[in-house]
Amino acid sequence: MLMNEKLLRDAFGDFLAQNGDHYPELVVLDADLSSSTRTNRFAQRFPRKFFNFGIAEQNMMGAAIGFAISGKMPVVSGFSIFTTGRAWEFIRLICHDNLNVKIITTHGGLVGEDGSTHNALEDLSLMGTLPNISILIPSDIIELKEMLKCALNSNGPFYIRLPRGSFQTIHNPHFKLHMGSPEILKEGKDICLIGIGSGASLASTAAEIIERDRKISIKVINLSTIKPINVPTLISALKNVNKIIIIEEHNTYCGAGSILTRIISEHTPKLIKVLGIEDSFGESGSRVKLLEKYGFTLQNLLIQMNKILDR
Amino acid sequence: MVVLSASEEKELLIDILEIKKDILTMIYKAQSGHPGGSLSCANLIYLLYKKVMKIDSQNPAWKERDYFILSKGHAAPALYAVLSKIGFIDRSELFTLRQLGSTLQGHPIKNEQLGIEVSTGSLGMGLSIGVGCALAAKLDKNNRRIYVVLGDGELNEGSTWEAAMAASHYKLDNLTAIIDRNGIQIDGSTEEVMALEPLAEKWKAFGWNVIEVDGSNLGELFEGFNKSKNIIRKPTVLISYLIKGSDVSFMEHTKKYHGRPPSKQEYTSAISEIDQIIETISVK
Ligand SMILES: Cc1ncc(C[n+]2csc(CCOP(=O)(O)OP(=O)(O)O)c2C)c(N)n1
Repeated sequence: MLMNEKLLRDAFGDFLAQNGDHYPELVVLDADLSSSTRTNRFAQRFPRKFFNFGIAEQNMMGAAIGFAISGKMPVVSGFSIFTTGRAWEFIRLICHDNLNVKIITTHGGLVGEDGSTHNALEDLSLMGTLPNISILIPSDIIELKEMLKCALNSNGPFYIRLPRGSFQTIHNPHFKLHMGSPEILKEGKDICLIGIGSGASLASTAAEIIERDRKISIKVINLSTIKPINVPTLISALKNVNKIIIIEEHNTYCGAGSILTRIISEHTPKLIKVLGIEDSFGESGSRVKLLEKYGFTLQNLLIQMNKILDR
Repeated sequence: MVVLSASEEKELLIDILEIKKDILTMIYKAQSGHPGGSLSCANLIYLLYKKVMKIDSQNPAWKERDYFILSKGHAAPALYAVLSKIGFIDRSELFTLRQLGSTLQGHPIKNEQLGIEVSTGSLGMGLSIGVGCALAAKLDKNNRRIYVVLGDGELNEGSTWEAAMAASHYKLDNLTAIIDRNGIQIDGSTEEVMALEPLAEKWKAFGWNVIEVDGSNLGELFEGFNKSKNIIRKPTVLISYLIKGSDVSFMEHTKKYHGRPPSKQEYTSAISEIDQIIETISVK
């Protein structure tokens, strides 16, 4: 699952630096993490349009509001938890006034050795509860680039969450993003795996191996838009399956899984398991070990599938 | 006024250098962590625990203890190494830093038995927490003192200044803030990223008793702490001029080792540099 591919944040930084000219109103804001988030690549090319606010997420988000109501399009970056958490009420105002602010953060989910204080396992609930915002989570670099284009070409608030690290590429270079709609990666009928962010490549790899080993057919969906969700397409994509596992790197108590479970069950009864971090802040450790501990493995996915298939 | 004797100072200096070696070993073994800002403030944390704060070396949770809050939580290795030196943490545990299952997480997690009052790592919270502790101590007529160590980059956070206002408003003379004024944050020098100067004047304007010290000088630091104990009706801030990465030449004055572990070669040369300093001091 973790490959030696380009980091998502590298792709993010390069995209801003390469496309800065296409967006005359673009300004980029960071909070003393530009070397981590890679917005420093934009800063190097466009020093006048880059603003480092120091370690001051609230002030940065407040300034983004000012930029937006003055006709600029601020991209606001930093680590996921500090940016969404510390500055939350400023973001609420951004959404309240439907302002053109793009919040694009790195270190979503389990961050690894920095540990619980730096994990972002709550950001989707913080952002999900805000009207007007679009929430996107890329599953690979190709999708991320599409998302960045989409966010910068639309009006209104966006939250794009980049998980730590790099992920296996699951899209071909001609991939086009259909915001809001689930992307069916593989057809199947016995069970459906819905992968979110890093969960998508895990779901695809797992499906291949498990289908080969057992006589079941698995449907795989990459769900990269958490909000707004195109409900009819989601429900129709799930029509032929009764059992679903949603995989997300977030607290399961109140995350994308809970949002989806509500939406799905309002339309059709399904048995749904959400695989994620179960009501915990996480801890320190290598990302590989953490993913293992919290069940983001082939083995655990298989166990969960067997459990749900037996019911 | 109490001063450090030459022999006391020598002993402290050697302990601090050993603490710095532990910091480097911890981060080297974990291959992740923050050497620069741990090395810079190790000396003042040790001095606090060893000579300034009221603690019970047999009982970290002693009710009458002074409180220590490491607001710049990424300097956790410095805190852990100091806590091990004074006996609150088993030294062998140090080298499990940042591993899955270790009590020594990348950033300090609240643990009364280890003497960690509160979890830190998200910057800008410590001084407000210190204000609450100081107010509570006054309510309880407990004469505990509260010590909060802040990064200078961390002062960018607005909450710090809200706390600064509250502390002087409530005349919290039981609160001492210590700023690790090493001049460097992640993206560059503090003056480049978000200028802080004139820093002393800012704190004065916020109603604080301001003491500027050469933080590398234990005698000066000690004097500063002692002075702060005698100030009434005002909180004290010690602006301690320190060196990021101090005592490892290639880590000094650079942002490069803010959050980067040393390679094997760097680690070996860092340890031998510190060993040399220890030797020089020992023969004096
Ligand atoms: C709220 C918050 N924002 C961002 C970070 C990421 N971060 C960790 S350390 C650091 C720089 C700290 O600089 P400074 O306070 O000067 O510490 P020092 O140089 O003493 O290590 C940043 C931005 C954080 N830990 N918390």
